[in-house]
Amino acid sequence: MVRLEKGKFDDFIRSLAEDYIVYAAVTTGGKSSFKVVASAGEIDEGRLLTDRSPKEIFFPHSEVLFEYDEDGIRETEKAGKPIAVWGLRGCDVKSLAMLDKVFGTARQMPDNEMFEDPYWKRKYDNSLIFGLACNEPRSSCFCNWLGGGPHSEDASDIFVIDAGDVFLMQPVSDKGKAFIGKMTDAAGASAQDEKRAAGASVAKASGADEKKAAELASGARAMMAEPPDLDGLDERLKGIFHEDIWEEMSAKCVNCGACAFVCSTCHCFDVQDEGKGGKGKRIRIWDSCMFPIFTREASGHNPRPLSRDRFKQRVMHKYSYFVDNYGESLCTGCGRCVIVCPVGVDIREVIKRVLSFEGKGAR
Amino acid sequence: MIEELREKVKKLLAGGDVELVIGWEKGSQPLSSTPVFIDSPEEADRLVFDSTCGNNPAVYSTKDARRLVKAGKKVGVVVKGCDARSLSLYVAEKQVKRDNIVIIGVPCRGVLDSDKVEELAGGREVLEYSEQDGKITVRGKDLDLTFDAKDVLSASCLACIYPDAKEYDIFIGEARDGKPNKEQNAAIDEFEKLSSEERWKRMEEIYSKCIRCYACRNVCPSCYCNECFVDQNDPQWIGKTPEITDTMIFHIIRNLHVAGRCVECGACERACPMGLDLLLLNRKAAREVEERFGYVTGIDSGEKPAMADFREDEKQNFIMG
Amino acid sequence: MKDWQPKILAILCNWCSYAGADLAGVSRIQYPPNIRVVRIPCSGRVDPLFIMKSLQSGFDGVLVSGCHPGDCHYLSGNYVARRRFAILKPLLEFIGIEPERVQFSWISAGEGERFAEVMTKVTNDVKKIGPAKRLVKGVQK
Repeated sequence: MVRLEKGKFDDFIRSLAEDYIVYAAVTTGGKSSFKVVASAGEIDEGRLLTDRSPKEIFFPHSEVLFEYDEDGIRETEKAGKPIAVWGLRGCDVKSLAMLDKVFGTARQMPDNEMFEDPYWKRKYDNSLIFGLACNEPRSSCFCNWLGGGPHSEDASDIFVIDAGDVFLMQPVSDKGKAFIGKMTDAAGASAQDEKRAAGASVAKASGADEKKAAELASGARAMMAEPPDLDGLDERLKGIFHEDIWEEMSAKCVNCGACAFVCSTCHCFDVQDEGKGGKGKRIRIWDSCMFPIFTREASGHNPRPLSRDRFKQRVMHKYSYFVDNYGESLCTGCGRCVIVCPVGVDIREVIKRVLSFEGKGAR
Repeated sequence: MIEELREKVKKLLAGGDVELVIGWEKGSQPLSSTPVFIDSPEEADRLVFDSTCGNNPAVYSTKDARRLVKAGKKVGVVVKGCDARSLSLYVAEKQVKRDNIVIIGVPCRGVLDSDKVEELAGGREVLEYSEQDGKITVRGKDLDLTFDAKDVLSASCLACIYPDAKEYDIFIGEARDGKPNKEQNAAIDEFEKLSSEERWKRMEEIYSKCIRCYACRNVCPSCYCNECFVDQNDPQWIGKTPEITDTMIFHIIRNLHVAGRCVECGACERACPMGLDLLLLNRKAAREVEERFGYVTGIDSGEKPAMADFREDEKQNFIMG
Repeated sequence: MKDWQPKILAILCNWCSYAGADLAGVSRIQYPPNIRVVRIPCSGRVDPLFIMKSLQSGFDGVLVSGCHPGDCHYLSGNYVARRRFAILKPLLEFIGIEPERVQFSWISAGEGERFAEVMTKVTNDVKKIGPAKRLVKGVQK
């Protein structure tokens, strides 16, 4: 573990920005999201969660896949530098790791070819993720329901703890270890390379620092309520697929896409061609299973015609189908959907209701 | 007040006067209430009404849930002034039969804009919320604040003319008449002072934040088309990306579709996860409708809605002479 | 910029303005060649979306023309249209679209002369304010 004095945080970000495109939480017009920053002053450190999900760093709301004109097809250019993300909370780090399972893992195509998503991979694979511990989780947080925790290091390259006037950094992945290693080396070799040294003003963390980190971690964990046992939730959901309980749970849902669009793991997309005359572009955009048009077929038939069906799909995909496909729930408990839902649908209450349901089909 | 409401609802349900009552119950978040569907007298104690009841419950009488219209059963709806206007509009537009709904008015003091509360709380999370005599108290860790409700009211409420239902069957307490509100046009008057260029710039600023989640449309009581024009894809009228012109066309056309039908409840603005100022255009359209056609939405369910009507001798100064 | 010619979309009612355009043509009345005509069955058919879409696609101006009040082939189509445009027009100006960009007129089948006058006026109006930039897709402010 190394320590970075907050007084040197700006130097750190500036030097990071030399090698990376640095994303961090920025607030404009009262709403926060991950944006490219060049200095520490632009970063909003007061926020626990950004209003917009950080998935858009690697999987933007709309992304041009290629452009075409009379001369042929042109792929969009790759960014020159790799991406570094500062200050992702444990839930969001985990979300990206989940999305990597969807986009980053090669999967078999019909003609025995393996396919992986190049647009995701070229950004995510070389990225450097700085996870940031939550010392004060919100009441809407429920990461501990899903195997996460406020001080979870999982999937971070470097795990950062805000310990008052210092950031304590724990390298987690090989990439993270290499980065921290380089920084400590640079600190030693400061005489030769002044600029590097300024950004790399880290020192080895003391025993007191480690103790502080452990205290913060246990304090944060204590702030979160005891989670229910979600064991067997996926099977239970399948068991009640045809029950009336969905009618009751979805009654107030108005089927907007707010939950899906702020969700850090929802990744359904639509592909649109926008062109005029001989040229145009193919764009990938976010879509949501909450919209009636999402499943409408060319014939006009819609297999999920009712609000209830679409609501059910979202819950099933998160807590059942994704478990079948990838072995874990497609939810990290960030609680963004709980915060934004305009009619106060709380996914935690839905889960609890499913767990307590005792009608036909339940365990 | 709330006890009286619960008693009335219990009586309605027990006597078989209604099958279902739509109202609000306490939400899981401190600053939220959430729509609730009460179908037995025992459940009536779940009902609440305070400044967190920002949703327009009328929505559920036409939206996909369709619990209300299902089988034409009689349903009670607990309403603020604006929500009652929505119901009157539905009756005028023949979406709901007046005999099938029991309108239960509650005295409204305006509803909160949670963004404003959060701003006052300065980043500290609100864990508890209470209100009394126009004062609101929020508490949390290192947070204990009391302020005037006026400071955190939704923009729509600050400009409200009809806080209480105009057409109702039952009113809890005494319904106040509509009264002029000089705040009503303040925002648009201010905006109109800007040059055309500045106005366009402001519009771009507002709508560039949109993420096209359609929360505004889906909570809007006046947006009840079975298929929205943005969901049409044969032909597809507008692009689906958050590109600025597509986004603006969505909002402007939605605005025109609800012109003369918008009750200015502000549910859209409160629903918006990105905090867009959506009421500015709505208010402008409503003022044009009122000035030109003398029509105010949802005040008289017997009146034909403005955009479905015409008069032969109307002003037409905008048409080339 | 000196050689720039505006593109103007004229949405014309089949029963009056479109025939007015015909009359202007057969009467050999000159008017600017900047208009592209779309024929519609009635001004009441004009969805504001058509107008927005035209601007978005790059037209510098849009003119909608229907029958004089009282002359509608379908009795009341133009009255309904008039209400719609009465709200659309101030709303567009409100958001910062120049008033010259979107205009409305009534032209009957017998008014070939007037048709030419209106086209000339709209073209000159749009020329004065220059190419459309607002609400045009793909154009940065």
